[in-house]
Amino acid sequence: MLTLSKKRKEDAARRANNSLSSPQTSDNSKRASVRDMLLNKEVPEMDVNLPSSCTVDFEDPNKLHSFKLIVTPEEGYWRGGRFVFSIHVPEEYNIVPPTVKCLTRIWHPNISEDGNICLSILREHSVDGTGWAPTRRMKDVAWGLSFLFSDLLNFDDPLNIEAAEHYQRNRSDFEAKVRHYVERYAKS
Amino acid sequence: MSDSQVIMKDETCSTANGKSGSMESTKQDAEVKPFTLKKWNIVAMWSWDVDCDTCAICRVQVMDACLRCQTENKQEECVVVWGECNHSFHNCCMSLWVKQNNRCPLCQQEWMVQRIGK
Repeated sequence: MLTLSKKRKEDAARRANNSLSSPQTSDNSKRASVRDMLLNKEVPEMDVNLPSSCTVDFEDPNKLHSFKLIVTPEEGYWRGGRFVFSIHVPEEYNIVPPTVKCLTRIWHPNISEDGNICLSILREHSVDGTGWAPTRRMKDVAWGLSFLFSDLLNFDDPLNIEAAEHYQRNRSDFEAKVRHYVERYAKS
Repeated sequence: MSDSQVIMKDETCSTANGKSGSMESTKQDAEVKPFTLKKWNIVAMWSWDVDCDTCAICRVQVMDACLRCQTENKQEECVVVWGECNHSFHNCCMSLWVKQNNRCPLCQQEWMVQRIGK
């Protein structure tokens, strides 16, 4: 499935060819970036350490920097739903965090209805030490996202303020709305 | 397998004792030596005297060139930086990170350079 190493070999071969025919163009032919080399190690590591509620989907196996993480919580308010996150790893990785969007509409205090996510490790600039750090890896991102449905669920620091207030006001009504959203948007 | 090895060791010990007994005084003969050390090889381990020898940013050994310098063929220019917190990174990796957040990625303390070099 992961054929980036093969791609790197092919690129290297092409570079070698280019340098034979036209030496000046050899330098700007694509070489594997630092991001790709990091992902080459981190993606297989994430694959084997994935939480049981998660699966990953690479549309293009040669693009390790763009994939989907599918979380199907086994318990909690969102159990039985299928939530698709798109993960894009920018060229500057791992100095900057991956950008993540939730593609499935959801009623959740830490995920807005248009898919923005409030998760500390995904924060690029943070005043305290809780934001992104280059010591983090893709597996931490996958675990962080899956934990948004359990341990990291946080009603006290909401992104979707309306959802958090809904919970504080009437828990059973909040849960009913969550279930309604799950049935309507998060069933595959 | 292991049994036969034990027996072999016992045999060597007894022959060693027998030899020394025939040549040395009877007093020494009375002392029962479990074994005689005839030869030894000293083995030593070493590691770099730094807190962390893999750069937490690019995950390459700090004494090797970082991932960026390896791809850009700048191995010679790649040096190590130590912070006041005693954590070490490649200087180029760290200079990219401090622009983002002036903290040590390992201990979150404010980043202060202690030393740069190889």
